[in-house]
Amino acid sequence: MKAKFLQTLMPPIVSLVVVLGMWELLVRSLSVPAYLLPPPSAILSAGLSNATALALASFTTAKSALMGFFLSAFFGISIAVVLGSSRVLERSFYPYAVFLQTVPIVAIAPLLVIWFGPGQRAVSVSAFIVGVFPVVANTLTGLRSVDPSLRDLFRLHGASKFQTLFLLSLPHATPSIVTGLRVAGGLSVIGAIVGEFVAGFAEGAAGLGIVVLSSYRQLRTDLLFASVFCASMLGLLLFGATNWFGWRMMRKWHPSEKV
Amino acid sequence: MSDFADSPELHLATTHAGVRVVIDHVVRVFPGSGLVLDDISLDVPSGAFVALLGPSGCGKSTLLRIIAGLDRVDRGKVCLEAPEAPPRIAYVFQDAHLLPWRSVLENVTLPLELLGTPKTERRANAREALAKVGLSDAEQRMPAELSGGMKMRVSLARALVTRPQILLLDEPFAALDEITRQKLDDELRRLWIEHPMTVLFVTHSNAEATYLAERCIVLSPRPAKLVLDMPIDLPRTRHASLRAHASFAQVLGSLYDALLKAGTS
Amino acid sequence: MKTMNRRLLLLFALMSLMLTSCSRDKSGAHATDGKVKLVLNWVPEPEFGGFYAARDGGAYAKQNLDVEIMGGGAGVPVVQMVASGQADFGIAGGDEVIMARARGVDIVALFAIYQTSPQGIMAHASRKAKTIKDLLGSGTLAMEPGLPYVAYLKKQHRFDGVQIVPYDGGVARFVNDPNFAQQCFITSEPLAARKKGANPSVFLVADEGFNPYVGVVITRREMVEKNKAIAIAFIHASREGWRSYLDDPKPANATMAKLNTTMDAETFAAAAEAQKPLIETPETKSRGLGTMTKERWETLANQLVELNIIDKAPNVDDFLVSVD
Repeated sequence: MKAKFLQTLMPPIVSLVVVLGMWELLVRSLSVPAYLLPPPSAILSAGLSNATALALASFTTAKSALMGFFLSAFFGISIAVVLGSSRVLERSFYPYAVFLQTVPIVAIAPLLVIWFGPGQRAVSVSAFIVGVFPVVANTLTGLRSVDPSLRDLFRLHGASKFQTLFLLSLPHATPSIVTGLRVAGGLSVIGAIVGEFVAGFAEGAAGLGIVVLSSYRQLRTDLLFASVFCASMLGLLLFGATNWFGWRMMRKWHPSEKV
Repeated sequence: MSDFADSPELHLATTHAGVRVVIDHVVRVFPGSGLVLDDISLDVPSGAFVALLGPSGCGKSTLLRIIAGLDRVDRGKVCLEAPEAPPRIAYVFQDAHLLPWRSVLENVTLPLELLGTPKTERRANAREALAKVGLSDAEQRMPAELSGGMKMRVSLARALVTRPQILLLDEPFAALDEITRQKLDDELRRLWIEHPMTVLFVTHSNAEATYLAERCIVLSPRPAKLVLDMPIDLPRTRHASLRAHASFAQVLGSLYDALLKAGTS
Repeated sequence: MKTMNRRLLLLFALMSLMLTSCSRDKSGAHATDGKVKLVLNWVPEPEFGGFYAARDGGAYAKQNLDVEIMGGGAGVPVVQMVASGQADFGIAGGDEVIMARARGVDIVALFAIYQTSPQGIMAHASRKAKTIKDLLGSGTLAMEPGLPYVAYLKKQHRFDGVQIVPYDGGVARFVNDPNFAQQCFITSEPLAARKKGANPSVFLVADEGFNPYVGVVITRREMVEKNKAIAIAFIHASREGWRSYLDDPKPANATMAKLNTTMDAETFAAAAEAQKPLIETPETKSRGLGTMTKERWETLANQLVELNIIDKAPNVDDFLVSVD
């Protein structure tokens, strides 16, 4: 067990150390100005000296991202269930879902402020908009891929639509749903930060998006990198949590989760 | 108690008994493929074990699905005459088609769960069905852990749990190895003798049809017509050793002859 | 296999060559033949009027300068562009200049358009506020995150109960919400708001004690070391342009209006008028337009240190370059 743990963890850690080392070396030897590309050491020191501010900002962004993520999960799955229940519905509305996906969130964000007012609500909605489509698309794929013979079996024994949905289609679609949630997790963080650019609170409960803007304004590229790093960590955490959730749900039966 | 006895869904059958299947000039056309079933007429008495033979793709599965109510007819009709309507139908597919996220026990309880049977009752019945197929020890295992033969047995148990009056099987053992297949053939016959029900068994193996059935129905290639309806003259109680017996070869031989005469290979 | 490796190597080499060549501009070259690029930090507006006047009125041509004026918008990285040579001259705020110097960017300051910072806060007159302090107890206030004046105001007064939101560059929210206040350039947003029917009262941040030079013309160190003549010529011509613009803004306004269609002629004229007292003061009358003093830069640098925006005040002599 320990050997396997090391086996999965060592390669990425080693490559990370190598990349960071090369980065540090290159920046120093080529005398790259710090305001263009800071060395990892400067980023680390900026992160440490602003640790509280970054932690608070990460917490704020996390709240919005999580809220948006849960909204994406709930509405994404619900929308997919509705679309999956009727080919007509699917053909009528799925193209709009695709369209929503392609409209850039930076363009929608100002509208969100007008509708929801500034603050966590608008930011969460921004995170939701960015994350919902992968959940819909993947869930729909899962729901549509149910074996027709199993559908026949359910029909034969007089299953109601409800029973077919909850006892057959949704459990069958679980692996696809988890895939969709994995993607939505990282996207929620992006959506939250972009939302904060336009709609976040700029003082007090300022999120990572505000820190990014502020550090850019003040030419503090090292702090900018540090806040971007925190954002990635958030995305990673959400990704890991979704993975764990998927493992819990499917470990007994799905080949992708069995260790 | 009397209220319960009246509602057919909740009140579990205490007996199988059979169903008479009358197929009356059934025609089925598929939009893409054209005529599939060409004027099929058949009368299966209650409790009979009938094998449905024919080349692959001739429409045997279609006919079975029509009898199960999973597909419609374009002309003619199918009638299931049972003492109490609606008749309880069970279907076994070529692939066991177990729900991978459910345990063996939970898979077998599925039909009863869909009917609304309370939990303790349906579990008890599921255990009974598993015992009948010899899988009592496996009830907590997951389908992914089972061999092909065991999965098929679970599928059989699931089919039996509602005490069906008619059991439809669509080449259920075709994907299994010879030994397992023969074992399951024996088990199926035993179950049929213990619990009288009408059995329609689709196969494309003449030997299997001869071993299992009392009567062989043969369909031609598409568009399927009924080309042969032959009784199998073998004893009711059959053992595996029967396959090596002269009488078996004889009956099998006469089946081949009849097939040749009917013009199908 | 060997040819495959060689091909990959060639491809990689080509890509690296492309990447390195497109990052650096062939900078100094054109400066010597009189072609210079000026990058603005906002869209063409009266705050840049003097430069357009210098170009159209022939002031630059007289100095043998062919000036290309690159208009900007929100978020144009003027400091980076000037430092890397993508532009020869740029416009930046005084606080930006100090921050850049503190981070090691080697730019120098030559000229300041505004002697008094036009940075302000505007609120609806109906709120009857007398100073900025009155606006910090309630309602919403839109400010740009990271701007030093925000930190300054936060230090002077507490933000007690007011909701701070990011500034989006427009006046739509202001016009629709009487409890909404926002940062502004006093030459810009209040005029637009008035046009839309609102009645704003405007407060200068400078009155609170934070008064950086604004609209500072910057260039890279290399320019004043190797091509000082060009820098001097540019500033002298720009000064002439500003003189001409202050006397009669109409021609330059017409040019800018073609480039910036969101502002109409009336607003252009009003803004040009409103900004005059911020540009022309007794000090500029005696020492020339755009003049800057060491003392004010030092004050600003110290303020930024006190606000913890920079660690150490950069030495003003290093970057304040006289062009006289």
